[in-house]
Amino acid sequence: MAEALQKKLQSELEKYKQMQKDVSKSMSARQKLEAQLTENNIVKEELDLMESANTVYKLIGPVLVKQDLDEAKATVAKRLEYINGEIQRYETLLKEMEKKSEQHREVLSSLQQEYQKAQGRAVGKV
Amino acid sequence: MADKSKRNIEPHVRVDRLREEHEQVVKGCDEQILHWKKVSGDYEALDDRLRTLPDHLSYEVMVPFGPLAFMPGKLVHTNEVTVLLGDNWFAKCSAKQAQRIVDHRVKYVKGELDDLLKTRKNFEARVGFTEELEKLSNKGSYVDIREEDRNKETVVTKGKQRVAHKPKSKPKLDTVLDLEEVEEEGKGVEGNEEYCKILSEEELWARLDQLEKLEEQQDEEDRLSDTGDTNGEDTTTSSSSEEEKEADCSQPENEPAPKTSWATNGPANGQLNSQGAPGGDTTKDEEEHEEEADCLPTIYFSHTVEPKKVRINTGKNTTLKFSERKEHSLTHSKRKKKNGTNGHSHHELHKISSPVDIYRLFVDVKNGEPVPRKSILKSRSRENSVCSDTSESSAADFDERRLICRNLSHDDAPHSDTSDGITEEDSPTAALSRAPSRFEAFSGTVVEKDPMPTAVPHLTIAPPALPTILERKQEEVTTDAVPPMEPPKRVSKFKAGRLHR
Repeated sequence: MAEALQKKLQSELEKYKQMQKDVSKSMSARQKLEAQLTENNIVKEELDLMESANTVYKLIGPVLVKQDLDEAKATVAKRLEYINGEIQRYETLLKEMEKKSEQHREVLSSLQQEYQKAQGRAVGKV
Repeated sequence: MADKSKRNIEPHVRVDRLREEHEQVVKGCDEQILHWKKVSGDYEALDDRLRTLPDHLSYEVMVPFGPLAFMPGKLVHTNEVTVLLGDNWFAKCSAKQAQRIVDHRVKYVKGELDDLLKTRKNFEARVGFTEELEKLSNKGSYVDIREEDRNKETVVTKGKQRVAHKPKSKPKLDTVLDLEEVEEEGKGVEGNEEYCKILSEEELWARLDQLEKLEEQQDEEDRLSDTGDTNGEDTTTSSSSEEEKEADCSQPENEPAPKTSWATNGPANGQLNSQGAPGGDTTKDEEEHEEEADCLPTIYFSHTVEPKKVRINTGKNTTLKFSERKEHSLTHSKRKKKNGTNGHSHHELHKISSPVDIYRLFVDVKNGEPVPRKSILKSRSRENSVCSDTSESSAADFDERRLICRNLSHDDAPHSDTSDGITEEDSPTAALSRAPSRFEAFSGTVVEKDPMPTAVPHLTIAPPALPTILERKQEEVTTDAVPPMEPPKRVSKFKAGRLHR
């Protein structure tokens, strides 16, 4: 009885740990996205400072590729949109994960209690 | 003990951890601030360089050539800078533009620095708070534990108290039931007292209505300038009625069913009156007294259109009545005993074993046969009507006073019934003439219930008698039916009544 419970508890714990890892991963991803967002925001603002005479390059691999200013602005705007969408996606993802982890935690605590009871009983029997 | 020690330790640990976290945040903030300060310094240097860069066409510089070597070189195109905008975007621009970009970045850096400083301040304050919290928790941990224990104890005590309450309340009911049973069997003194209690409930209702009306009356009177006489009346009436009650309760043996006596008092008096019409003075006064006590408020003030005038008129009369009442209160007590005996006879017919039986107590005697009353609500309304009956006499008195205002107040319809009953003894003709006019409003509802015109002498006996009275009145109305004649006739009536007195 106690052993089975222990196994279950262990597996649940593993799952929980995995979940925590996922949470932290998506958390860091989100942070990265946040940084990118600020960076792109700055880029956009600075592109607005440019004049049409200025040439804009995009570093692709080792090469600087010449880009049209308007094009560059459009791409940056698109990039910003994309980043915002990503951030929202991660937000919802994180919420779901938090819920799940909460449930998991409850399950874990109940399992732990059962396990402790079982242990206590076993001790009592012995 | 282990638990306790754990509890004691835990808060410290937690607070410590909280403080650590806060301190970490502050540290992180500090680091970031340093970083941003460095960045801003770099940007300032860059800004300087960019400002001076286009001053010359070319510069002799040592160009870094790999990590180890420098090469002598020449810096040309001094006004042409390629700026990394971020996210791998580059832009070729003049030194001036580069400077603008730098300014923009410096601004951003400054904003970032400000934010960091704020957060650091915030968390520093929190660190101080947590330190205080730590101290507090160190001091207060023991106290908290004690409080928990107390709470538990109180809960237990609460439960006990609750348990204790129930048994007490229940036994009371049982005893009441027992008493009632005893009453049924032996009809002992106790039983009578029980009756008093039970009966007094209905009585109380009637009484409450009465008192409410009295209150309204008094309020109105307070508003009006001439308060004295009427007020005195009211108080006296109420007090007298109370006295009655008390007397009933105090003399359980004489009056086995005080309630019934109350309810039937009016009617009983009526009987007496009808029988002893010649002896009139005492009986009539009594009746008036009682009636007024019961019904004065209902009659007058709820319905009158112009209370002011009425009161003014009434003033003298009321004072007169006052004196009369006092004289007759003595006789009244004697009467009561008689009534009590009457009530008793009715009363013995029915034993009270259930609440339903209580209603049987309120038997109205019509033509010598007991007629059961209707349900409480109906009976209540009837009681009121009864009150109105009794009060009618008083109403009649008022009418006398009111003469002037008569035309204005048609409200008296309900009262007129009672007044008729009383007036019949004194001056039947006058009553007849008077009744019809007022009556018209009331006739429809009441008549159908009791088709007993013969019961006229008994009318006064019981509340149900009212409808019969009404019928009679209606008949009279049909015959007489002189509404416009009202005011003069009434006057004559009352004068006649006074003469009789």
